[in-house]
Amino acid sequence: MRTRWLTGLALAAAALAAFSLLAQDPTGDTSKGKGKGKGGGNIGLYQRQPPTPTGPAPKLADGTPDLSGVWLGSGASDADITRALKPGDAVVMLPWAEALVKTRQSKDDPEANCLPSGIPRGSPYPWRIAQTPGIYFIVFEGNIHSWRQIFMDGRKHPEDPDPTWYGHSIGRWEGQTWVVDTVGFNDKFWFDYVGHPHTEQLHTTERYTRTDLGNMSIEVTIDDPGAYAKPFTTVGRARIMAGTELLEYICQEDNYDLQHISGPAQGPGGSTR
Amino acid sequence: MQLRLSLMGAVLFALGLPVLAHHSGAAVFDNTKKIDLTGVVTKMEWVNPHAHFYIDVKDSTGKVTNWNLELASPSILVRNGWKRNSIKEGDTVTVTGSQARDGSNFGIAQTIVFPDGRKLNFLSAYEDGK
Repeated sequence: MRTRWLTGLALAAAALAAFSLLAQDPTGDTSKGKGKGKGGGNIGLYQRQPPTPTGPAPKLADGTPDLSGVWLGSGASDADITRALKPGDAVVMLPWAEALVKTRQSKDDPEANCLPSGIPRGSPYPWRIAQTPGIYFIVFEGNIHSWRQIFMDGRKHPEDPDPTWYGHSIGRWEGQTWVVDTVGFNDKFWFDYVGHPHTEQLHTTERYTRTDLGNMSIEVTIDDPGAYAKPFTTVGRARIMAGTELLEYICQEDNYDLQHISGPAQGPGGSTR
Repeated sequence: MQLRLSLMGAVLFALGLPVLAHHSGAAVFDNTKKIDLTGVVTKMEWVNPHAHFYIDVKDSTGKVTNWNLELASPSILVRNGWKRNSIKEGDTVTVTGSQARDGSNFGIAQTIVFPDGRKLNFLSAYEDGK
């Protein structure tokens, strides 16, 4: 009996540790070097995955960094955006935003309603970047199976863009880093499961750097004077999933759970603000 | 006692309410309302955002209750060894997990065990979580 109790305690402690890892590491690598026999280890929710490929970051024929591949991960914690920040940064909400977060309900999360996650919220599903002349695309398996377009032809943002879920994105290269500048957001999506809000004044700057063949660092600067006292930068990373292609995920097909969701907005382990 | 579960396995078997891809599992299921059901599969729904299967459970008085049991999305399941026919109509299974917070006959299928000992869970066909 005592052994069973101790075993249960050990499992609960391990589970909490794993959740902590998931929260801190957007790629959700819970294997940490273990369980990699028979073809690989865990990447996020995916088990027995091939090892992350190694080697130098590839380049296209014209020398531009090649961002192709199936990626898993994101530039921020989708559980709680305050969990993965650039050292020294802080999320300081304006009073109205702080009050709103405390009243938000899980059932109202656009993500739970199969609506877009916006930027920088990630998902447990992989995605691709497609680089074509003048325009790049980010193609999501999750995040309601949607896509973003990032103009690379040197154009500017429109003077008064209509507010949208993904805004208006223009990109450029700074050395080996792909920088995506986006404005023109609506105020509908939540930054995370706990419900951090934003306004139409949101301006994001994403910085993607493929550090080697299998890894990408991602930083996202959030500047929204309508909701936050100062800008802050989230940090995350993505890893190549070598053994898969994007698969279909149509969230709207049968969103049965929505009618059963209750309680305050909360993270995967039940954490609230 | 050897703990053969990986950290991922511990998440599955100890807490059992991980992120369900587009919402918190804890917002739907109550980890204190444990279910332990044995019944016959009446339907499998291989749909997004979550696959579901249904089982008829007979109680000691002979009354039959149909339970709706939730799994991860098909794209997660197939990457973790599931097939769309891993559970079929007519199969007898024993399911442990957690019931919906609203008390309906709806739950998350944390573990699924067949009479021959074969095991699945709501995320994976790999028993040891590796």
